[in-house]
Amino acid sequence: MQQARDVIRIQLIILLGLALGGCITSRVEDAREGMTGINEGESVVIMAKSYHLGNETEEDYINCIENALSRGSKGLRVIPHRQFVDSLFPWFEPRTAPAETKNLPKLMQRPGVAEQIAQQGVRYIIWLDGDTERVAGGGSLSCAAGPGGGGCFGFAWWQNDADYNASVWDLEGLESAGTVSTDVSGTSFLPALVIPVPLIARTQSRACKNLAGQLQSFIVNEAA
Amino acid sequence: MILKARIALTGLLLAATLVGCSSNVTLQTPTIPRPLTEKMPVSIGLRMPPNFQSFVHEEEVYGRSEWTIDLGNANAALFTQLFGFMFEKVTVLNPDDDPQLLDIDALIEPSIDAFEFAVPNQSNSESFAVWVRYRLRVYDAEGTLVSNWPVSAYGKSETESLSNSEALKRAAILAMRDAAALIIMKLDATTGISAMADRETPAAAPAIEVPPAAAAEDDVQATIVEE
Repeated sequence: MQQARDVIRIQLIILLGLALGGCITSRVEDAREGMTGINEGESVVIMAKSYHLGNETEEDYINCIENALSRGSKGLRVIPHRQFVDSLFPWFEPRTAPAETKNLPKLMQRPGVAEQIAQQGVRYIIWLDGDTERVAGGGSLSCAAGPGGGGCFGFAWWQNDADYNASVWDLEGLESAGTVSTDVSGTSFLPALVIPVPLIARTQSRACKNLAGQLQSFIVNEAA
Repeated sequence: MILKARIALTGLLLAATLVGCSSNVTLQTPTIPRPLTEKMPVSIGLRMPPNFQSFVHEEEVYGRSEWTIDLGNANAALFTQLFGFMFEKVTVLNPDDDPQLLDIDALIEPSIDAFEFAVPNQSNSESFAVWVRYRLRVYDAEGTLVSNWPVSAYGKSETESLSNSEALKRAAILAMRDAAALIIMKLDATTGISAMADRETPAAAPAIEVPPAAAAEDDVQATIVEE
């Protein structure tokens, strides 16, 4: 009985120690190139830069940014990226999408492109690139089970880095409005004294929250 | 009796193990959105190889698992729909049809040179990738080969939000869509097919019958498409 209490006490001490320690560090910044602002009826589209260029932005992350930007009383009107790409086929496919704002004037002159964009009220295209990667890890954890019960013992940890960059293109002036970037590093722990207690750092979620919050301020231009 | 039961059990276990190491993926007929392009005023014939109606790719990933990807008639559907969007008139030829007898400006003959894929273990990522290399042979109304164009397409899909087979299907569909985008953009520049409309053609031939498997699901429902 006393032994079980000791085990629980040790686990609580470890948990408390880890909870108090910082598991996530994050940074978010923007670089403005032009004035922004959005009117009623105007919308934004979140796109991933092409995987033909080696970009690996996750579909989940794009969906997360779309949801976060459209949420709340100050939420922006967001056109789902697949709907946008389908409506402008084949000009926003991974192979054909414009890589720079200087390609926009030619694109807008193609039959039906400007009309489709106007019809959906798209004012800004936000191009995401970057991804979440496991950059380090260590420790060891072993579990065993027998007739009298089972349990795990050990300690494992891993570190994920989420680096994302968003380029904001203003389709009104056909120019770049600037960039917003976030860099989040999170370390997760898995201590186990009989029962494993996962302490997960939600690195990608934090990167999504950071970037979406900053993008919203950037586009609405609250400082102006 | 016990020995027979043991042998049967061992056989079942072995079979279960083998089934566990193989994956079968069947692709549904893909459709592409209507492109924002103007149709070329050209009447084409489209002759597809038999494997466009039932293409199956089998591959054993080194030391790991066996994959069977059944594209079914996806290629036939894709090209029928694609050219239906691109040209004013498309006539899908049966294997026995003589294109010289048809009222067409050009004949397009697509085929598959190669189909390859990579699973996450191979690429050390969380994604499936598919490469398809098509070949488009374009003949003029006299049957002279005027262009032999290899079209390389690529699609990639993550496994994070999809099962393995769904991710592979999506990668294959994205590769086919990539091929469609490339063909829309470059076909005329590469083959000069739009100029073939001005050439003199033989007298009009009667319309041919519709091969049911060649009809795509979306806008192209019949062998002869005319808008």
